[in-house]
Amino acid sequence: MIDEAEPGYRWEAEYEKTWELLQEDEAGSLQASVDEIVQKAKRKRLLDRPINVKLGIMRHLCVVIDMSDAMNDKDLRPNRQLATLKLLEKFVEEFFDQNPISQLGLYIMKNKRCEMITELGGNIKRHTTSLASLRTMQCQGEASLQNAMEMASQNLRHVPGHASREILIIFGSLSTCDPGNIMETAKAIKSQNVRCSIIGLAAGVYVCQKICQETQGKYNVILDESHFKDLLTEQTSPPPAVGVTESSLIRMGFPQHETTAGIGKSSMCMCHIDSKDSSQGFGKNGYFCPQCWSKYCELPVECVVCGLTLVSAPHLARSYHHLFPLQPFAEIPTADIYRPNRLCYSCQKHLSEVHAYKCGQCSHVFCIDCDVFIHEIHHCCPGCASKRTPQL
Amino acid sequence: MAYRSDESSLLIVVLDTNPVWWGQQLSKPNRDLTFTNCIEELLVFCNSHLMMDQRNKLCVIAAHPSKNKFLFPKSELADETASDDSEIMRQTKSDGQYELFAKVSETIREEVKDLIFSDTSGELHADCMLSGAMSMALCYINRVEKEQLNKESFSSRILVIKGSEDHQSQYMNFMMVIFTAQKQNTIIDACILDQESSLLQQACDITNGIYLKIPQLSGLLQYLLCVFLPDAKIRKKMTLPTNVKIDYRAACFCHRNLVDIGYVCSVCLSIYCSFTPICTTCHATFKIVDPRPIPKKKIKK
Repeated sequence: MIDEAEPGYRWEAEYEKTWELLQEDEAGSLQASVDEIVQKAKRKRLLDRPINVKLGIMRHLCVVIDMSDAMNDKDLRPNRQLATLKLLEKFVEEFFDQNPISQLGLYIMKNKRCEMITELGGNIKRHTTSLASLRTMQCQGEASLQNAMEMASQNLRHVPGHASREILIIFGSLSTCDPGNIMETAKAIKSQNVRCSIIGLAAGVYVCQKICQETQGKYNVILDESHFKDLLTEQTSPPPAVGVTESSLIRMGFPQHETTAGIGKSSMCMCHIDSKDSSQGFGKNGYFCPQCWSKYCELPVECVVCGLTLVSAPHLARSYHHLFPLQPFAEIPTADIYRPNRLCYSCQKHLSEVHAYKCGQCSHVFCIDCDVFIHEIHHCCPGCASKRTPQL
Repeated sequence: MAYRSDESSLLIVVLDTNPVWWGQQLSKPNRDLTFTNCIEELLVFCNSHLMMDQRNKLCVIAAHPSKNKFLFPKSELADETASDDSEIMRQTKSDGQYELFAKVSETIREEVKDLIFSDTSGELHADCMLSGAMSMALCYINRVEKEQLNKESFSSRILVIKGSEDHQSQYMNFMMVIFTAQKQNTIIDACILDQESSLLQQACDITNGIYLKIPQLSGLLQYLLCVFLPDAKIRKKMTLPTNVKIDYRAACFCHRNLVDIGYVCSVCLSIYCSFTPICTTCHATFKIVDPRPIPKKKIKK
């Protein structure tokens, strides 16, 4: 974990006894301490999330994967490259699940150059098949952060002003081989309102920290594979908007899902029109674009005929929990609760732990499992949902 | 060939106990379905579910206008010891019936009585807190999953029996319930007694459940047993009611009309039917962009 940049020199700062944070348990393992540190960081993240800050909901994210020699290292099982690709496949799914109207692009850093694997787009299958094809690619050469940042920012230049522009770099090596001054590139992308975050796999590198600081991104170095997963999951939530992003009204279509009871005529859908298998996509079911009536199998999609973005109402609803986040529950000791009421409100489990969690709005008490479930997956307090709010 | 499913099944029944709607049923001339009949039919259905597989589990939640309550299983506090007398009384009451069925029937009847008598608020509402009850159901599923020994997989489904109408204020919570159910692979079925509910239609479509509006209320038990009793694996082999055309269109925030093509604010995702200069939810301002170029007037000589 990298310390915050301080104005003075490190030897002028206070004497830090960082070894006291880690404590061995009876078996001599440090795992419990490490877990506790990761848990505390998670809870701090939940509490620290700024409310009433404009978020970039429509995101355009370029993921840059390091494919240099350092990724052949076996400190992650089976080696860094394969472990990263496996986690990224889950990340892509989770990203489109949390941000259905966003777009993702994949790039790699290899042989001091940056190559584009997939263009910025919203089709999950395309990204996952490309990630699968990267498993067989050989990692060689050195990584070049500047080339990666320049290529990604060039592709992000054409993105409309209301969308957020982000770069996420998975950086496994300890050095970067650049043609020019990387800090100028960092300033250039900052002026384009691009936010660059880096996840380091090896150790903390000063230049990465500087870039992230400049562009208001996040720099983290992983401790182990589960921490890596946590950091990637953190990236799926929309970050606060950088700079002055324009707000605009985007014209979107909400197509109806027609089944066999509808129009009654079979037609070819536009998403499979180029596929070699002619049986795919031909039928009566599908979503019809309200502007030009072309058929699509799945949403969300951008209509290739008339350019209208097609979404369904649940897709937009998926992002609402980012905009109206659930407040964290207060931790109270179980002994304070009156004995007959020592039950978790939502699962009726007897509260045997030392701590219980109380919602500030409805004052119902929950067990620790329900607290984690409600905040990480459900985003809705059952107590508040059961309470009738007075009509305004 | 005997069909053996490897998964046990957890069924959660969310019953709408809105007193206004059930009271209206009593005052109808032909009295198709009264509340007591509904509870009896529900008990038969629950016992049938438990009979399908020895490992099947059951949970019943009542969705009331002012609160939600677990009817079964009754939460017993670990340090509360029942007196010997009441234990013996309980056992003699079962009169030969399978103990588990007797326990289910008795507990649900007692808890329903308790729920109705404890509702002293005097306010009348035409809807019930359905999204809260479904959230509690999902938390219960999460708890059972954590408590499973041997990490045996089980399938879970939620059956909603609803008569009263929807309330649009529950839209947001309902959508969270739907997404969580999708993530947990929980099927949501809906057995609608009276008024169609577009929220439940969307829920059943997204989670691959069955949505059915009962044509004849007096045949409720038959519909429950034939349509909603089979679990996910058996459903593939049966011909069950298919989904109607689901309306996924969004309602605009200004008039609450359904729109085909709308304008979405990029900051807060509010939907409008026509261009407005200021977003009413987040107060973001939008530039008025005219896509048509102003034609240059050519003066003909």
